[in-house]
Amino acid sequence: MLQQDSNDDTEDVSLFDAEEETTNRPKKSKIRHPVASFFHLFFRVSAIIVYLLCELFSSSFIACMVTIILLLSCDFWAVKNVTGRLMVGLRWWNHIDEDGKSHWVFESRKASPQEGKTVSEAESRIFWLGLIACPVLWVVFAFSALFSFRVKWLAVVIMGVVLQGANLYGYIRCKVGSRKNLTSMATSYLGRQFLRQTTGDTQTSSGE
Amino acid sequence: MAEAVESPGDPETTTSRPLMRDLKAVGKKFMHVLYPRKSNTLLRDWDLWGPLILCVTLALMLQRGSVDSEKDGGPQFAEVFVIVWFGAVTITLNSKLLGGNISFFQSLCVLGYCILPLTMAMLVCRLVLLAEPGPINFMVRLFVVIIMFAWSIVASTAFLADSQPPNRKALAVYPVFLFYFVISWMILTFTPQ
Repeated sequence: MLQQDSNDDTEDVSLFDAEEETTNRPKKSKIRHPVASFFHLFFRVSAIIVYLLCELFSSSFIACMVTIILLLSCDFWAVKNVTGRLMVGLRWWNHIDEDGKSHWVFESRKASPQEGKTVSEAESRIFWLGLIACPVLWVVFAFSALFSFRVKWLAVVIMGVVLQGANLYGYIRCKVGSRKNLTSMATSYLGRQFLRQTTGDTQTSSGE
Repeated sequence: MAEAVESPGDPETTTSRPLMRDLKAVGKKFMHVLYPRKSNTLLRDWDLWGPLILCVTLALMLQRGSVDSEKDGGPQFAEVFVIVWFGAVTITLNSKLLGGNISFFQSLCVLGYCILPLTMAMLVCRLVLLAEPGPINFMVRLFVVIIMFAWSIVASTAFLADSQPPNRKALAVYPVFLFYFVISWMILTFTPQ
């Protein structure tokens, strides 16, 4: 505990550091990569905003569609290649070996006691919130476009669902790992949340 | 998108390195389509950025009418998108059902990248259409489209035919032929009215 305190003292103060926090607690709630966090949310949220507001601002369907496609592509690339790796230490990709067989690789960075390599809770929360909320919204848009017969938007909406759903699926697979399955992970997560709420637990879990 | 192996979770890695790597990969694949020879590059490190760029460019160039009007070519934009992606997915499913040993995304990658010659044909056609209309205009465009169509077919079969058993090659190549034919037809019959 004391050794960790001396490490904390020499670290740079980040944007969201709470100065009044005592140094006895390990600082895991600060945001280490503010630029990555910003862009993680920026592209996703702007794509949704442009989709919702395009009919108000621009009479050109094409300009809106191209803008949304551009934003969705930038978001897919940024989340897959940069923000997942920086914010939560997960990554996934496809590898084709010598025989031409394709393998999907899902990796998560091992938690190490060094301060620079643990995952901060604030970043983790931002990451997962953005990752989960946006594909859900795009699915809602897909149904609304289908049932209100605004079919010309379906191409863009389906693209949104596919791209953001792919990232969501990839990172969930990374998080779950190859041994546990999804239901056991969901059960243990819900169980932990329930326990935390009922006991009013404010301690952060050590090492994740 | 296949990635090179990096040091795991290095927090100091900037975004510029993966960006340059991906851009270079896309550029290399464009070169491979323009000068097709037997190589594995298109297949091994597949990515779908090139097809996306080509699809959007083609759809933008196939607009007719002014961009600001009410009926401003929206359906045509979505139409090109749907034809390209749905057509590519159908061909891929067909080749998988025939027993080909190529993966889903590799096949999409090859088909998408081989639209490059037809996109260049579209560019040339749009420039030629700026001149006065007439039979010569049409002959020039027809000639260009036929050449580029043949180029697309040659490029894609150079990569795709190897993945099929020998007695099924024609069955796998025939939908590719149809796919590029439909796109060439859209390009040839385009008039910017």
